[in-house]
Amino acid sequence: MQVQLRVIGALTLRELGTRFGRDNLGYLWLFLEPALLGGSIGLIHHLIGHGLPGGLDVVTFWVIGYIPYYLLRGVVNRAPSAIVANQSLLYHRQVTLPDIIIARNLLEGAATFGAMVAFLLLFGVVTEEWPRDPALLVLGMGLMLGLAHGLALLIAVGSVYTELFERMVHLVTYLALPVTGAFFMVFWLPTELQRAALWIPTVHLFEMVRAGQYGAQVPTHYDMAYVAGWVACLNLLGMAGLRRARRDLVV
Amino acid sequence: MIRLHGIHKSYRTHFGEREVLAGVDCTFHRGEKVGILGRNGAGKTTLLRLIAGVEHPNRGHVERGMSVSWPLGFAGAMHYSITGADNARFIARIYGKPLAETVEYVESFAELGEYYRMPVRTYSSGMMMRLGFALSLAVEFDCYLVDEVIAVGDTRFGERCRQALAERRERSTLLLVSHIPETVRAFCTSAALLSDGRLTRYEDLDEAIAAYRAA
Repeated sequence: MQVQLRVIGALTLRELGTRFGRDNLGYLWLFLEPALLGGSIGLIHHLIGHGLPGGLDVVTFWVIGYIPYYLLRGVVNRAPSAIVANQSLLYHRQVTLPDIIIARNLLEGAATFGAMVAFLLLFGVVTEEWPRDPALLVLGMGLMLGLAHGLALLIAVGSVYTELFERMVHLVTYLALPVTGAFFMVFWLPTELQRAALWIPTVHLFEMVRAGQYGAQVPTHYDMAYVAGWVACLNLLGMAGLRRARRDLVV
Repeated sequence: MIRLHGIHKSYRTHFGEREVLAGVDCTFHRGEKVGILGRNGAGKTTLLRLIAGVEHPNRGHVERGMSVSWPLGFAGAMHYSITGADNARFIARIYGKPLAETVEYVESFAELGEYYRMPVRTYSSGMMMRLGFALSLAVEFDCYLVDEVIAVGDTRFGERCRQALAERRERSTLLLVSHIPETVRAFCTSAALLSDGRLTRYEDLDEAIAAYRAA
C-alpha cells in the first residue's frame, strides 16, 4: 500500500513533467487548458445571447456543464495511449497498470477541479451567485472522475488487444456529447424522454453539479446510488480486466 | 534465491503460436554468477524478462527470495521524454532511495556530461545503456539480470561495469545471458545452456561451454 502510494506519487510527478514541461507557463497549463476552453464556450453562448429556461445565467450554465464534460472526455480520450506511453516503466515490478492510469487521471481530475473552483469563485464575485451546496457539486465531480476512470480502465484493457479503441474513442466522445447531459437539463425534456435520459449515468452527474450550484432554483433529477453502482461496476470490471491484460501484455 | 517452476512462454505470431520456453525449472542461489548461454532466438531475453517480472509466463511461476533488478540492456526501464536526471529522481522515488544522492551517484557513474540534463530520447544507445546500468546500481539490487549488450558495450564502460559488479561480488547475484562463451567466462563462475525451450545447469563452466559449442 505504501509502495503503491509512492509509485502513484512518482508517476504523477513524471506525468506532470512530460505533459507540461518546465518551459514558460509550464504547470499552469494544467488548469489553464480547461479554463480557457470552458471560458470560451461560456462566452460564445453569452454573445449569441439566447436565454435559458428557468432564467439561469448563460455563462455559468455552459461553464459548469463544459468543465465536467472536459474531465470525462480528457480521461476517456487519453486512455488508449496510457499503457503504450508508459510501457517502459513496467520494467519496474512495483509499477502496475492501475497505478499508471490512476496517476494520469488524478492529474486530469486536479486540473479540471482547479478550473472549476476558479470559475465558481469568479461567478460568485461577479454575479453574487455562490454554489448553494458545494459538497454536492464536489461529489458530482468526484463521481464523474470515478466513472471516467472506470471507463478508462476498460478502454486500456481493450487497447492491449486491439487498436480499435485508439481509432474510435475520439469519434465516440464527440458523438456522445449531446446525450451526456452536459448541455441540457432533464426538466427541459418531455416525460418520456426524461425517463430515457436518466438511463445514462452522466446525465445524473451533470444534474448533481447543477443541483450543487443552483440548489432549489431549478428542478434537478439525479439518483446518486444509480451512479455509484455504475462507478463500482466499471471499476471492478476494469481492474479485473487489467489483471488479465497484464499477463498477456508484450512489453 | 530465485526459483523457476515449470515456466512456459509462447507468443502469438502471424504464423500461429510460437513456443519460446517449454518448461524451465531452475534454482539460482544468492551470490551465484551464472552465465546463460544460448543461440540467437533461443529465448534468453524472454527468460530474463520473465525472471524480472516484466512479462508473465503462460504457465508456471517465478519465486523471488531477493530483490531482482530489471533486465539490463539497451531499452526499457526509463522514460524517454524526460531527462536522465529526472529518470534518476523517478527511480529514487519508486524504490524509496534518497533523491539527491541517487541523482548525484547516477551522474558520476554514467558519465553522460551535459546529456544527463537532456531528454533520454536524444541519447545514443550506448548512453542509454550507461544510464540504465547506473540507475540499477543506484538501487542496489541483490540480483542483477544482465543482457550481454552491456558487457560488450564500449570497453572502458564495460570494464567499469565489471568492476562495479565485482565490488558487490559477495553480496550480489548475477544472471548474464549471452551467446558469446568468452563473455560468460569473464563474468561468471557457472553456466547454464538454453536450447529448445529448456534450461540445463552445469556446475562446471568449461563443461557448459563445450556443450554449447557442440549443440
